[in-house]
Amino acid sequence: MATARTPRSGSPILRLVAVRLVWTAAILLGVSVVAFVLMRALPGDFAIAAAGAQFVQAEVLEAIRREFGLDQPVWVQYLRWLGEALQGDLGRSFVTRRPVTSEIGPRFVVTAQLTLIAALMALAIGGTTGLLSARLRGQTDWVVRLVNGLSLAVPNFVVATLIVLMAGLYFPFLNLFNYTPFLADPLANIGSLLLPALCLALAVSVTVSENTRAAVLEVSSQDFVMVARAKGLRPRRVLGSYLLRNALTPVITVTGLQVASLLGGSILIETIFAIPGMGQYLFDSITSRDYPVIQAIVLLAAAVVVFVNLLVDIAYARADARVRYE
Amino acid sequence: MTADAPLLEVRDLAARFVARAETVEAVRGISFDIRPGEAVGFVGESGCGKSVTARAILRLAPEGSTVALSGSVRYRGQDLLALSERAIRAVRGRRIAMVFQDPMTSLNPVMTVGAQIEDMLREHTDLSRTAIRERAVELLDQVGIENARARVHDHPHQFSGGMRQRVLIAIAISCNPDLLIADEPTTALDVIVQAQILRLLLRLREQMGMSLMLITHDFGVVAGMVERVNVMYRGRIVETGEVDRVFAAPAHPYTRALLDAVPRLAIARGPA
Ligand SMILES: Nc1ncnc2c1ncn2[C@@H]1O[C@H](COP(=O)(O)OP(=O)(O)OP(=O)(O)O)[C@@H](O)[C@H]1O
Ligand SMILES: [Mg+2]
Repeated sequence: MATARTPRSGSPILRLVAVRLVWTAAILLGVSVVAFVLMRALPGDFAIAAAGAQFVQAEVLEAIRREFGLDQPVWVQYLRWLGEALQGDLGRSFVTRRPVTSEIGPRFVVTAQLTLIAALMALAIGGTTGLLSARLRGQTDWVVRLVNGLSLAVPNFVVATLIVLMAGLYFPFLNLFNYTPFLADPLANIGSLLLPALCLALAVSVTVSENTRAAVLEVSSQDFVMVARAKGLRPRRVLGSYLLRNALTPVITVTGLQVASLLGGSILIETIFAIPGMGQYLFDSITSRDYPVIQAIVLLAAAVVVFVNLLVDIAYARADARVRYE
Repeated sequence: MTADAPLLEVRDLAARFVARAETVEAVRGISFDIRPGEAVGFVGESGCGKSVTARAILRLAPEGSTVALSGSVRYRGQDLLALSERAIRAVRGRRIAMVFQDPMTSLNPVMTVGAQIEDMLREHTDLSRTAIRERAVELLDQVGIENARARVHDHPHQFSGGMRQRVLIAIAISCNPDLLIADEPTTALDVIVQAQILRLLLRLREQMGMSLMLITHDFGVVAGMVERVNVMYRGRIVETGEVDRVFAAPAHPYTRALLDAVPRLAIARGPA
């Protein structure tokens, strides 16, 4: 037990950020190599996808490849891409010929919106059910745990497909799945994202729920909760200021770490719900072998995951400084 | 209520932990009184039911356990075991306050110590925000924390074990309780700090005229602290009496055994 007073300084966090920035650069470089090579290792290439038909003259394919630099060895292609990327130029889409950044920008906003709403939903649903099952421990918490088990066992794309089918069959008038752009109608935009976000959130909410349950049980057996009750504080205050404030730190950490799986899940969900986000775009780009777009999306996703993890680590380091004696 | 009437009258108090398979009888029908301003010691080995007794007075069950209580606990003539949940909450902290064994884990790590004093005052008093803030500083100062005005903003991890126990004592006395229950308040501390905390409790009790229920497994601790002592063994009180008399002529063989276990030094310091 550390009883000595330790001055709280910002330097450990600065060091954490510095180290992580170096790591981030290394990770992104690695991801870019892997994505670049894997894309080109897939059967078929952009030329074949672009030509479309089954019988094409070899010269046509060659011409397309030459035009886009695909006739070069992979490492030459990569170095050229890297050189441009380091100057902030991620190239142009093979398909639309527009700069990749302006292609991805608006779609990234949509995906970020969907992922954020899903993360908040996962936190709300998982937090509530986890708290509930901790409070009902030994009595009726098996209901929560059963539902959690089921949600975990059924993949989110199955749930999504079922929802789309059922809503289409039974509530066609609701028109739930028409994506509305934010600028056109902000409320309708968020409304149109709710169901997809829910599908995306389900699996993550189970993780959050289980973690909330464990954290709440752990915190409620702590002495300071007994002290709070012995002070005569009302239950709401004991729950909020003593239980939840301590239990939420690990829960938020866990939710942050799930951002990667939310981003991964959004590819399927956006495709099923026809949401014009990055996920659906990535899917389309893979189909058409639009290499620069794929490369940029993969890098962006990796950057987001690394960045969120950094935020989580900083939050954790700060919390840790407070509870370091435990 | 006459001047001599007990502040707390406990009769046939029993506490059973009720689990699915079995019940554990932790306290088996004990009776005792605590008079206004009096300090009473409770001594007994680990597991004899001291903490369960203390918590039973305020009807506090450990998280996740169900405790069945029987008998009566009369505070100023009113049976605490019969009160509503809301009414017992008004007694907890306000009339009968408690200090626990482990200061390292008894404070909320994410709240400043000032906030942990203030939320208690907010619950039980009508003081204004600024008055509550002032009172928190005053209380920290009263329990001997230097530079109290600045330290209300610190978090528990910035305090040593002994200082944390002082903070917990400040919390406990914040609403001027009639009775302070101290459940092994010095067990987790080193000997020098132990003595400081005991002196602090003694001083506060005199200043505030409150009663003290001092629980310990160490006869050396009650010496000089209390007037009367109850010796507990396996959920029962096996001996009760003036502390000097019990020290000089223990009646129960278990008391004798406990006294033999006290290091010579503590005996030499003896009852004041
Ligand atoms: N949460 C619990 N569940 C079941 N039984 C318990 C629980 N807490 C205590 N007991 C039982 O009650 C008995 C008395 O426990 P208690 O905590 O009052 O002992 P104590 O005298 O305070 O000991 P110590 O000096 O170690 O604090 C124990 O022997 C134990 O069997
Ligand atoms: Mg105890």
